[in-house]
Amino acid sequence: MGWSRLSPAAAMALLWLCMTALGAGAQGALPDEPLRVTLAGKGREPGRPGGELRTILPRDKDIRLLSAWGYARLIGYDERLDLVPDIAARIEVEEGRIFTIHLRAGHRWSDGAPFTAEDFRYFWEDVANDPLLSPAGPPDLMLVAGKPPRFEVINETTIRYTWDAPNPGFLPALAQAREPYIYRPAHYLKAFHARYGDNAFIEEQVAAEKVSGWAALHNRRDSMFANDNPDLPTLQPWVVRNPMPAQRFTFERNPYFHRVDEKGQQLPYIDRILVDIADPSLIPAKTVAGETDLQARGLSLRDVTALKSGEASANYLTRLWPIAKGSQVALYPNLNANDPVWRSLMRDRRFRLALSLGIDRADINATLFFGLGTQGNNTAVMGSPLFDADRVSRNATFDPGKANALLDEMGLAARDASGFRLLPDGRTMELLIETAGESEEESDVLALIAQSWAGLGLKAILKPSERSVLRNRVYAGEAVMSAWSGFDNGMPAPGMPPLELAPLKQETFCWPKWGQYAATRGKSGEPVDLAPAQQLLDLFAEWEKAPDEAARARVWTRMLDLHADELFTIGTVMGVSQPVAVSKALRNVPEKAWYGWDPGAQFGIYRMDEFWLDRN
Amino acid sequence: MSKATRYLNEEPFEPRDTVALSDAELRAIEASSWTGFWRRFARHRLAFVSGLFLLALYAMLPFVELLAPYPPDWRDSAKVYAPPQSIRLFHDGALHPPFVYGTAQSLNPETFAREFVEDRTQPQALRFFCTGSTYRFWELWEGSAHLVCPAKGASLHLLGTDRLGRDIFSRILYGARVSLTIGIIGVAISLVLGMALGGLAGYFGGWTDTVIQRLIELVRSLPELPLWMALSAALPVTWPPLTVYLGITIILGLLDWPSLARAVRARFMTLREEEFVLAAELMGASPARVIGRHMLPNFASHLIANATLAIPAMILGETALSFLGLGIREPMTSWGLMLDQARRIEAILFYPWILAPMVPVILTVLAFNFVGDGLRDAADPHQG
Repeated sequence: MGWSRLSPAAAMALLWLCMTALGAGAQGALPDEPLRVTLAGKGREPGRPGGELRTILPRDKDIRLLSAWGYARLIGYDERLDLVPDIAARIEVEEGRIFTIHLRAGHRWSDGAPFTAEDFRYFWEDVANDPLLSPAGPPDLMLVAGKPPRFEVINETTIRYTWDAPNPGFLPALAQAREPYIYRPAHYLKAFHARYGDNAFIEEQVAAEKVSGWAALHNRRDSMFANDNPDLPTLQPWVVRNPMPAQRFTFERNPYFHRVDEKGQQLPYIDRILVDIADPSLIPAKTVAGETDLQARGLSLRDVTALKSGEASANYLTRLWPIAKGSQVALYPNLNANDPVWRSLMRDRRFRLALSLGIDRADINATLFFGLGTQGNNTAVMGSPLFDADRVSRNATFDPGKANALLDEMGLAARDASGFRLLPDGRTMELLIETAGESEEESDVLALIAQSWAGLGLKAILKPSERSVLRNRVYAGEAVMSAWSGFDNGMPAPGMPPLELAPLKQETFCWPKWGQYAATRGKSGEPVDLAPAQQLLDLFAEWEKAPDEAARARVWTRMLDLHADELFTIGTVMGVSQPVAVSKALRNVPEKAWYGWDPGAQFGIYRMDEFWLDRN
Repeated sequence: MSKATRYLNEEPFEPRDTVALSDAELRAIEASSWTGFWRRFARHRLAFVSGLFLLALYAMLPFVELLAPYPPDWRDSAKVYAPPQSIRLFHDGALHPPFVYGTAQSLNPETFAREFVEDRTQPQALRFFCTGSTYRFWELWEGSAHLVCPAKGASLHLLGTDRLGRDIFSRILYGARVSLTIGIIGVAISLVLGMALGGLAGYFGGWTDTVIQRLIELVRSLPELPLWMALSAALPVTWPPLTVYLGITIILGLLDWPSLARAVRARFMTLREEEFVLAAELMGASPARVIGRHMLPNFASHLIANATLAIPAMILGETALSFLGLGIREPMTSWGLMLDQARRIEAILFYPWILAPMVPVILTVLAFNFVGDGLRDAADPHQG
């Protein structure tokens, strides 16, 4: 980018950056009231700043993961899954519906510009409520029963959102791995906003970027999560320095980051993160060759033998962190399938129960996961406050006799010449299991399931396609059954909204049309017409109204129980470990931990800014 | 063409009446070109042995179910990545009927390596002409007869097992069905195309020749592997494995014909100038008769040699496609598909036996090349 193209605002910011950098140095860049971290209290040691950390990601798009790993949120989860303020100094909640957020005075964006209430106002008034930038209106977390909050700027560092009714999902949403960003760097983005920017400059940029208008240009510049705009200021511990596409990305430490250790050293310790892009099949080999300091992406449990063997020569250790998913691979019978025969079968609890009892989970566990996983349902995993051992194994034992009896009882006893059962309309019972075809582990699990289902007289056929194709086929009801990983949130705490357990989103593959109905408030999709599913919806409403943590926990328990009884999704093996290769020089990486996306943000919850390199 | 009046002698022509020949001379003349061809081929020792090897391989294909100790999808979850068991004859210094030692799997909790310990106290004698695991013979009948089975309750993995605990030796045998037939069918397709187009070009010449020649150049100028990959990636994922298999053969066949067409055309060009062709034409024989009766027998042997040399390329093509995950799909299996696992780092580090399908690929390709060389030498009478 030439100087002539630089916006006045950006030029100002840059000038400002130079001045503060010269005047204040790296130390003076902390907020007046930084977040003080006591590492010793967490069993960690204060580190030495500096150094470069190497890691490998399979696609350049994946550098967005750094936004999760940095895990700087207004409010975020700690390792015990309690919500603690982070970027915000305090958040006051009154009656569950009035949220007052206090920012840290003197907190600055990574370019040195002040981070203030104006950034929240800009998001709310000029982005979320702009018809061009947000054609669908404000995001879901900002709406309670379809109604937006009243937004107030109290002063430079205080803002308040007031809803008519409680919004218990608000704070957990702010703590997500993929943050909704209810603030934006107004000083940078205003230059691209029609209401504030210089029209000639915007037109010039629109033409240069070949986009349709200022809104598209603004959206392209405003990619807080994607890390694809090196000019966009951030509050994360590391800032991307080079644009896409590239084979190597450099992330440099944010000199204005708001956390500080007990010795007064500003975090993050590590100066630079170097991200190399490499084919996923090469990542295990590159790890064994010592080309990475911290690696989980691209590694799976089947690589663990190779990883262990390379530890000595490549100077790293392999940690095994149980994955916080409801199940490693889960089957989703489509209760909204178009085929009427299959739909009525899928809606029959006996059929789903027979499918679950017909899976030899011990065989899957022994063959593919070294026998180290836990066999059972798709539900809360060990480590979650809602874990219950009976709920994991209920209806999930291997009992082909009982499964066959159930199918016979349903009137599916007729069989064809090769011994496969017939559907009520005379077709052979050929069940297509559709998958995204992305992981060999998944297709191996499904191949084993298909083999054990053959014992039920059920012919299961795997149909790998592609992520987006699979989604559309499930949403449209064309796919009768699909396979995906289990619940994303296998590590729930009562305060997290049980979004995956009730028909609320079409992304939950067992009820795409009911979910769509709820998500679009009845505009498209189909209303729920199955008693237990309706019960889940009612329970979710109860969760939203629940007065305290104990009441929420009771709702969660009932919902999880209902799932274990009804088997809306069929789990296989949970608690499979994610191998994490950690360089011996890298300190403060926990030995015992779990690996999850939401909650967890992968490394995010373990505060990567506290990791440091001991290279002596 | 002018309508010249031709004269034809109605009497049959008997060479013996005009020239006196010895018996040996007579035999040499009367021996068809085929007899000489086979005689020359049999003299080529390596080609002859390779030919027998290939014949044995292909003769085996219909009976794979009987020869393999296990069906292809048979699994043992207690024997994942089991190393090969060798067949032994001596136990405790005494001669035994062929047997193997049993193995027990355990997981090393430190290294996460699956360790197998051989139990040397108990020889497990192999059973021959026995009943073992059940299969569906040609997908038609249930059967359980095998040439060789492990002792009751024991296992027999001559080449070890793969990541799901499936017997690699058995899967190589089943994979041979796909890998070996794909070459033959593919070459048949390319032979038909090559002969038709090459024949047209060579016989008629002129603009027909020009058009076909340019087409050949066009097809040959396309980079082969990317084109295979693009075409096979275009096969719908919904197709059942058998249809995918046919699709792959057709793709391989469709892209291979130009070299055969060239060879056919060249033969046609030379033969067309021969006097016996001219004679047949002058006697009013139709192009079909001239080609089928007079020209084809003269270069059929050459054609077969060429086709034989094209088969290994097809086998390697299938292997390459399946290796890249674009070829044969599970639950069908082929050598290439089995080698797909060879991309994993632990295969090379810890489980080298899953690379075993490379051996039959190499042997078959070499054998086809030797046979092709032998056939080509035999087809060229000036050389022997």
